[in-house]
Amino acid sequence: MIEIVINPNYCKGCSICIEFCPKKVLRPSNNINAKGYALPEVVDLDTCTQCKLCEIVCPDLAIAVTPKEKRGGRNARK
Amino acid sequence: MLKHPMLKYINEEGPSGKRFPHLLCPGCGAGQVLNYTLHAVDDLINQTGAKKEAFVFISGVGCSSRLTSHYLNFDSAWTLHGRALPIATGVLLANPELKIIVFTGDGDAAAIGGNHFIHAFRRNINVTVICVNNGLYGMTGGQVAPTTPPFTSTPTTPYGNIEDAFDLCKLAEVAGASYISRWTTAHPIQTTKAIKKGITNKGASFIEILSQCPVHEHQTPVEMTKALKEITVSIKKSMDSNKIPVGELHFAPRPTWTERYESVIEKANEMIS
Amino acid sequence: MVETALKEKKCRGEFIKPGRHYLEGSEACVEGALLAGMKVYAGYPITPASEIMEHASRRLPQVGGRFIQMEDEISAVCALIGASWAGAKAMTATSSPGFSLMQEAISFSIMTETPLVIVDVQRPGPGQGYITTSQEDVMQARYGHHGEGPIIALAPSSVQDMFELTIEAFNLSEKWRTPVLIMADETVAHMREQLIVPELDTIEILGRRKPQDLNISPEAYLPYGHDIVPPMANFGEGYNINHVSLAHHADGSVGNYSLEVHRENIERLHQKIEGNVNEIARVESQFLDDCDHVLICYGSVARTGLEAVREVREVHGIKIGFIRLVTLWPFPEEKLRNLISMVKTIFVPEMNLGMIKHPITGALRDKCDQVIPMPEIGVLHHPDKLVNQILEVTTC
Repeated sequence: MIEIVINPNYCKGCSICIEFCPKKVLRPSNNINAKGYALPEVVDLDTCTQCKLCEIVCPDLAIAVTPKEKRGGRNARK
Repeated sequence: MLKHPMLKYINEEGPSGKRFPHLLCPGCGAGQVLNYTLHAVDDLINQTGAKKEAFVFISGVGCSSRLTSHYLNFDSAWTLHGRALPIATGVLLANPELKIIVFTGDGDAAAIGGNHFIHAFRRNINVTVICVNNGLYGMTGGQVAPTTPPFTSTPTTPYGNIEDAFDLCKLAEVAGASYISRWTTAHPIQTTKAIKKGITNKGASFIEILSQCPVHEHQTPVEMTKALKEITVSIKKSMDSNKIPVGELHFAPRPTWTERYESVIEKANEMIS
Repeated sequence: MVETALKEKKCRGEFIKPGRHYLEGSEACVEGALLAGMKVYAGYPITPASEIMEHASRRLPQVGGRFIQMEDEISAVCALIGASWAGAKAMTATSSPGFSLMQEAISFSIMTETPLVIVDVQRPGPGQGYITTSQEDVMQARYGHHGEGPIIALAPSSVQDMFELTIEAFNLSEKWRTPVLIMADETVAHMREQLIVPELDTIEILGRRKPQDLNISPEAYLPYGHDIVPPMANFGEGYNINHVSLAHHADGSVGNYSLEVHRENIERLHQKIEGNVNEIARVESQFLDDCDHVLICYGSVARTGLEAVREVREVHGIKIGFIRLVTLWPFPEEKLRNLISMVKTIFVPEMNLGMIKHPITGALRDKCDQVIPMPEIGVLHHPDKLVNQILEVTTC
């Protein structure tokens, strides 16, 4: 079960994750956090390939994607 | 809640309160560089058995230098403007086994830090210099820097910049850095790989990362990310002189300063029976 | 660590042997530093301090240390800071113009509570001034770095002092987690005289207190907390220490700024040294019983000062006492007040136009009729000149 979690305390609404996603999984939303930043939202979870590009480009470490499982059911990242 | 994997290296909270998120602006390139660096260090710890205690992060002063703030769960130091490199030199004289990563900006490294920049590379001290180059002085309001392109208007060049800009990678090469790479924040995978190679290189590694400053350039982070891709070209693909070359620009390993000091120790003790 | 080379028996050099030696002040300083455990020296050439650096460059690799000549004085003291953070005792020597360049880094060392030792072999200023002797930096020693923040400064008067006070400087820097200045001058750095080195096991060598010594775990460690002198973890020990010079909390955080935390930070730094002045500062005195006048001096001037005092007492029968400030800063106000009852005149000879005379006057004005400065520029006072001035004042 894939999760894409955006931390509302850390996200600053810069949209870089949206720009980098190769599958256009994310889009801007009207969901404004306590600091006034508009968080991204998931368009369609099924199109996510868990490439984790959004994770790596985030300036605030504010987005997390379930890691891919290795063959045999163990997580790709320890 | 599922957390970003690099948060394991961040002290999100301390006895005096919350430490994260950092205070850098939305879409700041320096924030991305922190992410790429932590990924590189994480890979090295997992894949090569590098010890977490051996890593030391040292920064100068400026936006990119805020990356060593109290939230980083490593040995670190937030030091003087332009002086991270001589401080790193001293650390290595005391303990050459430490893996030092220096976060610096273009002004910190090439203006006030310029003298130390060339000497650290001349000595080939074993340090990885990650230079977040946004072409201006971000923290203080966007003033002109030695890397600002000519004709640019900034708070201290309101009529246009009449100076030319340094090519930091060429400067580093002439000074003697043994590994030099240039990428941009719009090249996350390549930048992370370059940082890993820089840390692995025994000697002075210089990694210039062209970076957006959306606030002072008055553009959105996404606009600037796209622009960084457009104005650069990988040297493996083309030598288009209208674009800034990115990639591995120089790799010529040679003995580090502390390795060469071993010969001093030998000579100093030769005459003592 | 640097111990590796020694363990591999590459380093066969020894410390200076106990007994009588005849050597230059510069050399005595380095030999004292090596005994104190100095393992890193980073320097830059400047007259009249270069001999200290040259001697260090020869000796350090013989005893398991590392030496580097940096590109300027700023990077020299910065290298000391880095070396100290990685656990090494580190020293540099400079002269007055270089001392000016070092002030930002000194300010930074005070705020980050970094042990290190800086020798200032003073020469006249301002500007290039000249390359002879002076005491013109004594105010700069205390107030040259920007901002608040106390410092410890010692004033050697002899080759013996260059040896002993250097060891004391290292001990003070490690014990109080502070930079320590040795305010030498060209006279004492270049003079050659006897040095007596005691049995090495009688020399006390102190090291910084570390969190491991107090069973504080990395998780519980507060880099600027636990005590008025915070225990100091070195790089590479897994304590995730963050050195920072913005006003900070005890946990090293610079977020959640408040005036209270800021003031607490500065107050603790101040109290750490100034509040312990009676333990830190040393003063030597002679002939104070029943004296009508007193001469207070420091550094090389103590040599001619003492000679002048002896002559005035023995030849002219005037009861003048002698006080030598071994420590200039923190200024030993209470110790001085306890030494002197009422006197007529306090004489303050200095190789400047009058600097330490100010805190002396502040401390002792109510204990005397007058404070007479005895300035000299560019040269050590001749004892005859001091004698004549003292007689002029005391016999009129």
